[in-house]
Amino acid sequence: MRLRVLVVTLTVSAFSASNPALERQFEQTVRPFVTKYCVGCHSGKAPAAALDLHTFASMDAVVREYPRWAAVHDRMAASEMPPKAAPQPPAADSRKVIAWIETLRADEIRKHAGDPGAVLARRLSNSEYNYTIRDLTGADLRPTREFPVDPANLAGFDNSGESLTMSPALLKKYLQAARSVGDHMVLTQDGIDFAPHPMLSETDRDKYPIQRIIRFYESQPIDFADYFQAAWRYKHRTTLGNPKTTLAAIAAESKISAKYLPTVWQLLEDPSQLVGPVAKLQAMWRALPNPAKPNPAKQDTLRADCVAMRNFVVRIRSHTSMQFAAPVVRGLPAGSQPLLNWKLRSFALHHRDSNHAALRNDTDPPEVEPTIPRYPGLHSEAAPRWAALRAKARMGDADLTVPAAQRKAYEASFSRFASVFPDTFYVRERGRFFPDDSQDKGRLLSAGNHSVMGFYRDDAPLMDLILSDKDRKHLDRLWEEFEYIADFTGRTFVQYFFNQSGEVQGKGAESATARPVNNEVTDTPVIYSLRDAYLAKAAADPKNDPIAAEAIRGHFEGINSILRRLEVSRVEAQPKQQEALLQFAARAFRRPLSKAERDDILGYYRKMREKDALPHEEAMRDSIVSILMSPHFLYRLDLIEATRSNAAARPLSGYALASRLSYFLWSSMPDAELLQHAAQGDLRRPEVLLAQTRRMLRDERMRDFATEFAGNWLGIRQFENFNSVDRERFPSFTNELRQAMFVEPIRFLQDLFTSNRSILDALYAKHTFVNSILAKHYGMPEVKTADWVRVDDADRYQRGGLLPMAVFLTNSSPGLRTSPVKRGYWVVHRVLDETIPPPPAVVPELPSDEAKSDMPLREVLAQHRANPVCASCHARFDAFGLVFEGYGPIGETRAKDLAGRPIDASAAFPDHTQGTGLEGIQKYIREHRQKDFQDGLSRKMIAYALNRSLQLSDEALVEGIGVRLKTNQNRAHTLIETIVTSPQFLQMRTPVSLAKSDIK
Amino acid sequence: MLRSRRTVLRGAGAVMALPWLESLQALAATPSASAFPKRFGVMFLGNGINEEHWNATGSGAAMKLSKTLEPLESLKHKINVIDGLFNKTSTGQGIHPAQTGSLLTGARISKGAIIHSGISVDQMIASRIGEDTPQSSIVLACDQPMTGYHETNFSMAYSSHISWQTPDSPVPIEIYPSLAFDNLFENRGSMRNISILDRVRDSAQDLTRRVSSTDKAKLDEYLMSVREVEKRVEAMRKTKDSAEDTAKGLNRPAFSMERPANGLPEDLRDHARLMCDIIAIAFQTDKTRVASLIISRDLSAMYYPFLEVKEGHHAASHNNASAGYERIARFHVSQFAYLAQKLDSMKEGDGTVLDHSCLMFLSNLWIGRAHDNSRLPLVLAGGLGGTLETGRTLSYLGQSAEKRRMCGLYLSLMDRFGVKLDQFGDAQERLALL
Repeated sequence: MRLRVLVVTLTVSAFSASNPALERQFEQTVRPFVTKYCVGCHSGKAPAAALDLHTFASMDAVVREYPRWAAVHDRMAASEMPPKAAPQPPAADSRKVIAWIETLRADEIRKHAGDPGAVLARRLSNSEYNYTIRDLTGADLRPTREFPVDPANLAGFDNSGESLTMSPALLKKYLQAARSVGDHMVLTQDGIDFAPHPMLSETDRDKYPIQRIIRFYESQPIDFADYFQAAWRYKHRTTLGNPKTTLAAIAAESKISAKYLPTVWQLLEDPSQLVGPVAKLQAMWRALPNPAKPNPAKQDTLRADCVAMRNFVVRIRSHTSMQFAAPVVRGLPAGSQPLLNWKLRSFALHHRDSNHAALRNDTDPPEVEPTIPRYPGLHSEAAPRWAALRAKARMGDADLTVPAAQRKAYEASFSRFASVFPDTFYVRERGRFFPDDSQDKGRLLSAGNHSVMGFYRDDAPLMDLILSDKDRKHLDRLWEEFEYIADFTGRTFVQYFFNQSGEVQGKGAESATARPVNNEVTDTPVIYSLRDAYLAKAAADPKNDPIAAEAIRGHFEGINSILRRLEVSRVEAQPKQQEALLQFAARAFRRPLSKAERDDILGYYRKMREKDALPHEEAMRDSIVSILMSPHFLYRLDLIEATRSNAAARPLSGYALASRLSYFLWSSMPDAELLQHAAQGDLRRPEVLLAQTRRMLRDERMRDFATEFAGNWLGIRQFENFNSVDRERFPSFTNELRQAMFVEPIRFLQDLFTSNRSILDALYAKHTFVNSILAKHYGMPEVKTADWVRVDDADRYQRGGLLPMAVFLTNSSPGLRTSPVKRGYWVVHRVLDETIPPPPAVVPELPSDEAKSDMPLREVLAQHRANPVCASCHARFDAFGLVFEGYGPIGETRAKDLAGRPIDASAAFPDHTQGTGLEGIQKYIREHRQKDFQDGLSRKMIAYALNRSLQLSDEALVEGIGVRLKTNQNRAHTLIETIVTSPQFLQMRTPVSLAKSDIK
Repeated sequence: MLRSRRTVLRGAGAVMALPWLESLQALAATPSASAFPKRFGVMFLGNGINEEHWNATGSGAAMKLSKTLEPLESLKHKINVIDGLFNKTSTGQGIHPAQTGSLLTGARISKGAIIHSGISVDQMIASRIGEDTPQSSIVLACDQPMTGYHETNFSMAYSSHISWQTPDSPVPIEIYPSLAFDNLFENRGSMRNISILDRVRDSAQDLTRRVSSTDKAKLDEYLMSVREVEKRVEAMRKTKDSAEDTAKGLNRPAFSMERPANGLPEDLRDHARLMCDIIAIAFQTDKTRVASLIISRDLSAMYYPFLEVKEGHHAASHNNASAGYERIARFHVSQFAYLAQKLDSMKEGDGTVLDHSCLMFLSNLWIGRAHDNSRLPLVLAGGLGGTLETGRTLSYLGQSAEKRRMCGLYLSLMDRFGVKLDQFGDAQERLALL
């Protein structure tokens, strides 16, 4: 099946109007001239410079392809055309044609300035799709990573309806992409989340909530040393010049808990503590350096002293932590879940207690080294071995030896100490012989069951001592959601039932109970019948630990209540999740939903539940997929709202403007604040529009702007896959270096636009940005962080600005040599926006390897230019590449070429002035071509912002930008703001007609 | 390395691929031998066999099968009993989960909280041929998955799954026969996509009424693409349905099954049989061409009261030379034989569905009491459309480690499904003689 070819007609609007005088001149003067002097070469099957002037039969045609005529103008004005070898027209005739082109341009600009142009509805580009999915779901999934590359429009950008098409093959890919996003959906009690990985298997369902909880734990400030140091700052606040500060203020500055710092402070300053670990810690505290009496001879030891205090605390608490064993029930292994969980519970409840049994009286006989029992077998009690290990660990700890006569006072101090300093704030992972995890690293949040899954929460000290009320709620929520998402209590029970519960019938620790006949395993009667079997076991022998009954009841009844509560909350959550679905749709569509749309979305969900009998989660998943497949998400429809109007152009709606702004500056959907202004209807107000634009320019998402804009503008979109480097000859060219090269201009331009620097920095800046790999490549001082850093004196290393960036120099090199031709072409075409015709079909080969060439490339090229046919173009750009000969095929600076010949980086520019190296080309551009760069950048930016190719009438905006840049130190924001406030940007063309025949 | 690009739908635990069928007509219309689809099925038994009763010698009619393999007697001209293969990456990392997690992937697996293996051979094949059927594969089990930690500190997820769709996620297994059946026979995968496409078509149509003619042209592109894709899905579904009708109408050995009752069957024999039936009918009606079935997983606690074995499966395997454990192994082989016979009773062209399939029976261990996996019990059934010679006993015992890799076997099998790889898991060479 072939899709209809779309013809973009730019003249269908009310902007089209004729100018009889100019048309007459075209017919009487211009066309005859062209026929006589030009079409001899510029027509036929292979027109010179691929310019077929024969096709321009009307003035409209000239207007449509004005850039070609601008080139005609320039070449004629420079007396380069017709070429010397061809018959020459009278100078007056040439001048008439030149004048006509100029008048036509001026006339068009005057008549149509501000025409919004025809902006087509279009699908999101691959990049926009990825960024939008990221901002919509909060997960950077990049579903279009393996899509075919989007084609670019005439302006070189892949963000316009002129080039973005749809096909069945692509639609299939979109369906797969939408499905893959749907696979990441997570239902929570409040709505919908998206995980960074698919949520299909049970291990995925565990991983997501576990990682969230672990991340939360690990972000908490629990280093005692930080608290001691903060307390010290408070103590000496006057000396330190901040007498009015508070503990809360210091906690905030130090990024530690404002709740815990006072607790620590009180202990350190408690005058009632005369003995024991508190007294000793207080002594260390008082010995911290006094800022009022600095000792110049001594190094500042504050941090080291605080660390020593912390180490003291950790040692004492590690030696005095409480120890527990599972209650003993004859016939049940110690690893039996109800008993093991009691042990975990005991630990959890006593992190802030001190084990007085660990203290020795000074009158006790000398310590005897304990015998360490063997590593326990499966299911057996690990407590004796752990006790022995602890006893051995604390041997010789003099702080645990107390005067027998003062034992009570010391014990009180140890208790006080433990109440402030828990032996741990939370348990991150647990092996099967907790707390001895030596064999079982990495079982995050695990309960330590053997083979059967299970998780156990143990973070009371963190909750009680460190967390604010808000954070406590958050952590509770994370655990609730863990239960809700992973269903871990229910799944643990099922696994336990089928793999361990046979123990209660005496069948061994790894045996099952038979499937219940009329129940699910997780039904209350099944749970309680097991409870009763365990209770009977516990009651069967009077020597059993009496606490076992409580442990068993608590265990099974706890499971039952969680499961029953979950059943209720799953039902209760459904309406909230449906509401979240509607919110998701509204965000995906980037505007509020109509009543009909809301009903439609919920109706679709209901149909899947009722008619297709899909479970809730699957129906939600398919609803998400259908929203992501909707044209309202997949397409930029904001620019085609079809209201009728008599004016040729009319303002965009607030939502359309919000989308236009965000897809311009972020390549992604508008955020809540933009949509809020759209809803309020004030986004069009200039001060709001500019304030929002400036806010957006500061946002991190400007990275995406830099990537998309620069990638297209500078022709490096595909560089991440660039593979033309001979890695044996250039072993330093690794994937990491390639990636760093790619990122350099993006970092540079992100900074340029975010920090509102001069756009001329792109040409002349002395700075650039590097990471450690790129710094090495450039021979700059080592970068020791993993981050990118700004190098201010990059010019010392022949870098700075865009021109000498390795990415461009490498991208243009064919492997084992440089290509001054391609480099020069890149400069004049991409940076200076000059139109260069394509080369003729037959071009002489250049040597593929510098090292194997008899003469330097520059001489080969000079021979090439001796041929006048080649010279007419090459004279315009070779010089711009020859000046970069000091940079090798991977952009490395060099003094000799690959054949060992010394480098000559001098060149004669088109005006015959000489220049050498980077400085030479910068000087030449500054003096002769800076305006070309500015106007070129403006044109590219306009095309990028408007999602269309430029038309002649946009030249007025280009001129306007030029004027404003001049008075604003060429600031980047001036460029953006002028575009954003232009009529082109704020308006859309009114569709001429809604073709009635199309309405069915 | 080929990457799985399938999008997988999860319907209450089963896995479905987006079903795009471009070449189905050829399949339905011309019953030439090569036109019949090739199928791949894996049946897994955890914890090994009784090595004293697992043996086969000779070939063709003269093949002699030992006690445990007896259930395959009537099929011996259609099987290959292969001895001596092993999986290098499954050795030397500890017992059980580490001996299972890479069985079909050949990848190195990770300890602790990170779950990571590779893409399994069945899913590699499914990603190649699965697009032609409503579901790319079905992944079934009779045993509940476990996700705790083994004492080797490997996750029990490795013991509970053999099929991996990505290195980070095992394919969720379906243990309910009723749900497996529904997902297969309600054509949920394609129905769900049709339903979504329907819906977006409506919404696009509505939109085209409200836009200008140029924009309408852009939206028409979209609309036509939706219609086109929808048509393909619909066409495939219809062809499938009519293929089923034709099968019934021609009065072929009419195999049909009733929808299994909700819930889990109480008796393992019923459970296993239902799962085999589902695979058989799915293969016959071309709902899928790839299936895996775990009847008992590694470290299974499953009971076999009907075999008069008192201990659970894993406990029994520590005494694997016992008569009781032999009965367990034989029971599993008999399920394999049941499935193979079922497929062999389904005529397809001049042959049977079995002739166009390759079924693989294997375990993760050879000797349970020693946790020995230096060789693995392995039987293949079916001629794979004439590409696999059968009726043989092949022994690789005594050859160098490189010559007897399971992954070499996988490479050879994948070749026959059009998945050509230079390397898979620990193997770079195809298995000789296969």
